[in-house]
Amino acid sequence: MSQQVMPARYRVISSHGETHDTVTLALQPVGQPIPAYQPGQFTMLYAFGIGEVPISISGSPAGRDLVQTIRSVGAVTRALCAAGPGQMIGVRGPYGTSWDVAEAAGQDVLLVAGGIGLAPLRPALLAMLEARPMYRRITVLIGARSPEELVFASELDGWRARDVRVHVTVDRATAGWPGHVGVVTQLIDRADIDPAATRALLCGPEVMIRLAARALCARGVGPERIRVSLERNMRCGIAECGHCQLGPLLLCRDGPVISYQRAAPLLAVQEL
Amino acid sequence: MTDVAPALLAKHAFLHGLPAPQVAALARATRQIWVPAGHRFFEEGGRAGQLWLITAGHVALDIQVPGRARLIVETIGEGDVMGLSWVSAPQEWQFGAEAIQPTTAFELDTAALTALCESDPVLGYQITRRLIAVAVRRLQATRIRLLDLYSAPSQNPVAP
Repeated sequence: MSQQVMPARYRVISSHGETHDTVTLALQPVGQPIPAYQPGQFTMLYAFGIGEVPISISGSPAGRDLVQTIRSVGAVTRALCAAGPGQMIGVRGPYGTSWDVAEAAGQDVLLVAGGIGLAPLRPALLAMLEARPMYRRITVLIGARSPEELVFASELDGWRARDVRVHVTVDRATAGWPGHVGVVTQLIDRADIDPAATRALLCGPEVMIRLAARALCARGVGPERIRVSLERNMRCGIAECGHCQLGPLLLCRDGPVISYQRAAPLLAVQEL
Repeated sequence: MTDVAPALLAKHAFLHGLPAPQVAALARATRQIWVPAGHRFFEEGGRAGQLWLITAGHVALDIQVPGRARLIVETIGEGDVMGLSWVSAPQEWQFGAEAIQPTTAFELDTAALTALCESDPVLGYQITRRLIAVAVRRLQATRIRLLDLYSAPSQNPVAP
């Protein structure tokens, strides 16, 4: 079923504006739902009559609704962001690899998110919170452009209350902002982690991922302990069209989540 | 200057690995401070004569923009160094600095620090190298922020 190419019909249950250009939709199936999904996987969302785009799932796999967070950057995403309760959307998937949070059991977990990169990491965090005693220290480091462009801002204190260390840094802020101002790699330098027993999950702009992964390696976290979520031009979602090729990988099938050990040499190739 | 235990001073990341006699010399030019949230360390245009090694807390470097709220340029915390404007002429603070949490730090008098570095070139070399490393890290971080990585993709007509 995960190879499906016909979209399932989903109805928008609610729409929540995260920032001026980013919306989180809660969806419920009308008829047959898509199969169960894992944190880190994505779907192809279809704005009927306009087009289809890959969007990361941002909700808990245990949740009743399919939750997806969309940034308005073009015609299709603009239409999806504008979708209100009751509107129908097509959904294919789930596709791709997962964060494999079970692998981090018994260890420290460090999540590093840049911008809307927090959306694909959120299901991993929610899954770990469902089984909080299985994990040691959980730290979430978030980089955003400004406090106003921080997604899931209303949830951060709730995560802190559940024994998660959450640190936010922004590129620009005015007086009164109580958090950090600077790049997310500076938070990595200061993070209280045990490098030999840390699993790191990274998602954000690719330049940020490279810099954050390097900063983690400099702290002594082995590249095999770092997983990154990469983005390319995903179209079919089933490794047929080749649009999302990254060297030997087709990211819709082999990604989006891969180990940094595997990603590092590919990210260094300019043509890729 | 009040007494600062060299062993305590040596624990700061900026001085990591510096020989004990040199740390002891620096300790004589250092005092330990605690300030509450809201304390202004310095203002843009003021004479720059201190170097702070932050041991706890959180400080915002800021700049006044006419007609707008102060903009925070960068924040600095535990293990960081604050105050580089004294290194070069005209020795004036280029930004302001305000504690946004209660903050503790070692405060070095830069006239005394400069005298120590001139009388002991090995120490001077070490301090210079470490200050350059701080400046390089800040320059690199600033360059990354200039990339505006989290902005929306450019107005590409074929963006999905």
